[in-house]
Amino acid sequence: MKKKLLSLMLAGVLAVTALAACGGSGSAGSDGAADSSAEETADADAGSSADSSAEEEEVALIGSSDDPNTLTVAAWDANFNIPALEAAEAAYQKVNPDFKLEIQEVSASSDVENAITLAGSSGDYSQLTDIVLFQDHYINQFMMNYPDAWQPLTKDADWSGFSDDKLSYSTFDGTHYGMPVDNGAAIFAYRTDILEQAGYTVDDFTGITWDKWLEQAKVVKEKTGYALMSMDHNGDDLPYMMMQAEGASQWKDGKANLVGNDTFKSIIEVIVQGAQDGTIILANDWSEYTDTTIIGDQVAGVFNGNWIIPTMKQNTAASGNWVVTTIPTLSGKEGYAANGGSSLYVTSNCQKADLASDFLTYTFGGGDGAIETYDAALTNGGVISCYGPAGKSDLYNQPDEFFGGQTVYADIVENGTHVPAVEQSDYHYDLRTLVGNLITNVINGNDIDAEIENAQSEIEFTMEE
Amino acid sequence: MIQSGNRVISGSLIFLKKGEKKGGVILNKGRSIQAKQQAAGWIFLAPATILIFIMSFWPMFQAFIMSLKKGSSANMVWQTPIYHNYERILQDKTFLTAMGNTFLYLIVEVPIMLILAILLAQLLNNRDLKFRGAFRTMVFMPCAVSLVSYALIFKSLFATQGLINTVLMNLGLISENINWLGTTGTARAVIIIGLIWRWTGYNMVFYLAGLQNIEYSVYEAAKIDGSNGWKTFWYITVPLLRPTIVMTAIMSINGTLQLFDESVNLTNGGPSNTTITMSHYIWNQSLGVGVAKFGYASSLAFVVFIMVGILAFINLKVGDVRD
Amino acid sequence: MTENKKATNSSAIQKRLIPTYIFLIIVCFISVFPIYWMLTAATNTSYEVSTGKIWFGTNVVENMKVLLERAAAASGASLGKVMWNSFLYAGAQTVISIFICSLAGFGFELYHDKNKDRLFAILLLAMMIPGVATLIPLFTMMSKMHLLSTVYAFFLPGIATPFMIMMFRQNSRNFPVDIMEAARIDGLSEWKIFFQMYMPVMKSTYAAAAVITFMNAWNAYMWPRAVMTDNASMTMQMLVANLAGGYTIDYGVLMLGVFFCSVPTMAIFFILQKQFAEGITGAVK
Repeated sequence: MKKKLLSLMLAGVLAVTALAACGGSGSAGSDGAADSSAEETADADAGSSADSSAEEEEVALIGSSDDPNTLTVAAWDANFNIPALEAAEAAYQKVNPDFKLEIQEVSASSDVENAITLAGSSGDYSQLTDIVLFQDHYINQFMMNYPDAWQPLTKDADWSGFSDDKLSYSTFDGTHYGMPVDNGAAIFAYRTDILEQAGYTVDDFTGITWDKWLEQAKVVKEKTGYALMSMDHNGDDLPYMMMQAEGASQWKDGKANLVGNDTFKSIIEVIVQGAQDGTIILANDWSEYTDTTIIGDQVAGVFNGNWIIPTMKQNTAASGNWVVTTIPTLSGKEGYAANGGSSLYVTSNCQKADLASDFLTYTFGGGDGAIETYDAALTNGGVISCYGPAGKSDLYNQPDEFFGGQTVYADIVENGTHVPAVEQSDYHYDLRTLVGNLITNVINGNDIDAEIENAQSEIEFTMEE
Repeated sequence: MIQSGNRVISGSLIFLKKGEKKGGVILNKGRSIQAKQQAAGWIFLAPATILIFIMSFWPMFQAFIMSLKKGSSANMVWQTPIYHNYERILQDKTFLTAMGNTFLYLIVEVPIMLILAILLAQLLNNRDLKFRGAFRTMVFMPCAVSLVSYALIFKSLFATQGLINTVLMNLGLISENINWLGTTGTARAVIIIGLIWRWTGYNMVFYLAGLQNIEYSVYEAAKIDGSNGWKTFWYITVPLLRPTIVMTAIMSINGTLQLFDESVNLTNGGPSNTTITMSHYIWNQSLGVGVAKFGYASSLAFVVFIMVGILAFINLKVGDVRD
Repeated sequence: MTENKKATNSSAIQKRLIPTYIFLIIVCFISVFPIYWMLTAATNTSYEVSTGKIWFGTNVVENMKVLLERAAAASGASLGKVMWNSFLYAGAQTVISIFICSLAGFGFELYHDKNKDRLFAILLLAMMIPGVATLIPLFTMMSKMHLLSTVYAFFLPGIATPFMIMMFRQNSRNFPVDIMEAARIDGLSEWKIFFQMYMPVMKSTYAAAAVITFMNAWNAYMWPRAVMTDNASMTMQMLVANLAGGYTIDYGVLMLGVFFCSVPTMAIFFILQKQFAEGITGAVK
């Protein structure tokens, strides 16, 4: 009722202004003697109200499309996810020639998250696209808080082709809501030419302990001047990936598990030691991480989700010298981790749920168009599949010259299946920030135990309401 | 204007007739015209006023209600006790840090910027100066540049391998690259430099305008009296510009206390939240990072609202202007 | 005073002003350098930009091509359409805003009484409301009124601002009240006084208000991103944000986009700068 009154009042205001504008231009016209600038302003007023009403008609289109064969999708990154979606569109058009996928590009994953939040808060889902790309770490929270924003897939994909870790994000109470797209499997890549200068081979860095890694990295740094790893410290994923490689989590039974977690403490110590030795560069932000440290040729090692590969390839001078291997661990066993990755979800605004499900299962979900989709996604966007069978394609098994002839893509798909599922939390990114701060403070000389306790109490404070 | 006045005489007759009818007795005529004028005044200010009430005060009221609740925005429930979100603020270390940062920016940046702006305005007000228009445009330019570009430019200038470090190295002022944005002190300095760079020209334009109101002869007289530039500046320009100074100060205080863009785009609050501002933190609590807490974010916003209000009030009292 | 004396006098003045010139040149250099850097970056490749090249390059055509492609892909139309959207929204907001706010400033000052002054003081409070707090309620309101993805949603929250009203209100103090009385005796209605007398006299205030409002509307990002959700209504700020997002950023293209983003606001200031300076004069009295 209040809302109605409000909109009525607003409509009144609009009417008054519109009348005023019209009245203005009318009187100026009839009198004909008004000062020219008054006339101009009044005319401009009238002009703009005409313009805006025309505009309203033009953009009456909402998030979804009226065309029965058109789906809309919101996604970010024109060099990564969007080529993958275009690849899927092309593949699906072979069986459904009238099909069209309208891609709405947004600047970052947070844009999609905010759109869901705003839709959920207002109860107005009409602005949402049929499908959204959504990052894995957040989807659980958004499923719980805004259950009305989603609808389950109506068709089953070849779920056996995906790892449990990946499906654990997009499945709720046994129902599949999301279709996985990219593989977040982490790679640890080294520059063989630089390792050689220091007297090492890649084998010396495979299946080793972090202590040994630190020791050898120091030698590399002294002999060649290269650091062995860098990370965007503004969104520091190192602790998470290193923990996952151990099969450990910073969470236990829904609560943060930092104080008394020896694995966690040891890992922080490794990072701090590396930063102090200069073997790990903690960059201030994303662009410094990619442009200065990786493309700017400061590091002989890259450890991150495999989506970092297109960035590495921009440093063309290093081509042919990179090799991908597994992650060191505290115990020395070979470690596997994943970082990043997102899946496609059908929103409740989609009136063509069957078409959406059919499209997703046919392409990303292991249907007949899967190989074509994933091959083209790899070629055009560098998107690596997390669908196991896609890794068997010819393209995936072609040696990559940048990695010295290694069949790196098949290896990554293979590695992805070894990633252990560890406890996740809706507060993943909150904790990431706090742990990043913790590392900064310890590097600056603060006591590690006090800082861990501080981070623990901060995250508990954040989680309570 | 006179022309149009003549043309509407017929209209004015109708107007008078109507007034008589309504007023009834001639004695009441003046008052009724006045009442009519008053009514016209209310009609003129009505659209803007109603819009501000609907678009600012009503949402603010809703935000206040929200500040007493918890839960995600779709289905919120009352907090227990109802003022719990406000209680929580006192224990929120990050918010207290953010408050400290914001006030630091306020205390350091606003005076430097305003003094620099007055100084520039004073220099550019000199009629003997050539190319005044060009200088004025160039000084104003930074605030016309879009935010994204400004943030990018500053980030790359102050990057560890950036131009500033290169220049300082070549001049021999530093022996190794400074991690400007990765160290608390320098990161704060970069934010302050960025703010000064962007907004000095904007404020200068207000002072320039204010100076137009000061008779140029006052300066000529001061010159004849033998006052030097500084004396003229402190004893003539600054006092005469007082109303302008109060207004720009309120604008700057308001802007700085609600500072958001620089914190988000230049440092993202880092390192370890030591450069984060209050508005940035509120944003993180609502749409920015992690689990949205609109209730808590709203209570924080209210605290900021009250702080800005108090400071603006003090400023007005100290400045003692009519409004 | 002979011609000769005058000349030596002015050259002496110019000599005395040398430190001022030097100071101003330094300030202008600092002000303009980042803008110069933006221009050079727009002509270089991404690699050249991130390695700190500060001279013009030869990649501008290539950057332009990529920018056009990106704009067309993201908006479903073209760079021109995105620019047009920004112009249309910012223009609509500017015209309506200065109309409504000048009307209010006129009403508050020239018809002022105690109640109106009190009301104005209350309106000033709205200046201090943090935008973050009202985002959700405003979005809900727009949704309830079915205005999402229309130009109304873009400008409604921004057209009536206390600052603009204040500017017009203060400036109205210079308005010759006597003429108003004379006009009334001539039988001019209050509306006609506004349109035929007030508006022409306040030309420069309108110019200043237009510059400030247009700048704010043109640079708006957060709110438009929330309410203008379809591709057809993409603005320049959203396009630039898209260029700056993602795993790999092409800095040359990004800076070219930023250049297109900055030109209109700079141009408008340049065109209106004389009136702008005059226009805010009254505001600070």
